[in-house]
Amino acid sequence: MAATSTSNTISIPLASRMATAVVSLLLGVFIIYGVGMAHSDMLHDTAHDTRHSYGFPCH
Amino acid sequence: MLVKYLLATIVAGLFAGILLTPAMYVRNVPLILHAEQFEGEGGHSHESDHAAQGAAATPHEHAEEAGAELPLGRLGNTLLINLVAGAGFALVTGAAALFLGRRITLQNGVYWGLAGFFIFNFAPAFSLAPELPAMPAADLAARQTWWLVTVLLTAGGLYLIVLKDFIWAKIAGIALIVAPHLYGAPEPDNLTSPVPPTLASEFAVSTLATNLFFWAVLGISLGWLLQTYAQSELEV
Repeated sequence: MAATSTSNTISIPLASRMATAVVSLLLGVFIIYGVGMAHSDMLHDTAHDTRHSYGFPCH
Repeated sequence: MLVKYLLATIVAGLFAGILLTPAMYVRNVPLILHAEQFEGEGGHSHESDHAAQGAAATPHEHAEEAGAELPLGRLGNTLLINLVAGAGFALVTGAAALFLGRRITLQNGVYWGLAGFFIFNFAPAFSLAPELPAMPAADLAARQTWWLVTVLLTAGGLYLIVLKDFIWAKIAGIALIVAPHLYGAPEPDNLTSPVPPTLASEFAVSTLATNLFFWAVLGISLGWLLQTYAQSELEV
């Protein structure tokens, strides 16, 4: 590893970051599903331009 | 729970979502509005020989204008969704870094952003180009399934290529990334489109450029915020 002032790896063990990682992943996936894929009319119509622009399959 | 880490991640996502909104209005939204003028014009004249696929192939059977969207106006809705979406993509990126034991920093943030762009935008768009309203498209559920599988395979492939040193892992990674494109994205039986092809090609390029910008901003701001506010949580 190069001798930079900031390391590119995390030094705390996996066990102590697992809970945050799982929460962050689940919350993120839930949000992306709601924004991009959920079939609800309200979500679709509100997110319409973003879905098209982001390249999500739409309609 | 690494609270500072989560908060810094969400703030970075909100920031990228704010900047995504004006970026979308440069090209993408004007092209969407232009394409919507063609909704209802085509798509119905070619249905006779495709009666079975009619429901799937008919673009846009619901009226966009009288929709069920939140009452914030078109710009307000898009800004709200971009804020939420930015946070969502930031959370997934931050989670990936935690699982992998990697630190997102100001120096390497742009590479995390490029990885996100490659996984979520470029790879799916390679076979399933971003669609304008009124364009013909295959069954929605089939396209969504293909999109999701492609995102997962690409993420796995990129992990093998970037973070594993064995040559076989890199070859397997390339195979994972290429596989969904060899399989092929779902296509409509009838490609006749009421939307002029120029609009569609302009849209495909402008959306990729816009999303590249979004991911670059997201990666760099994630790196800066995590490095500035959450560094202490990641050290023993």
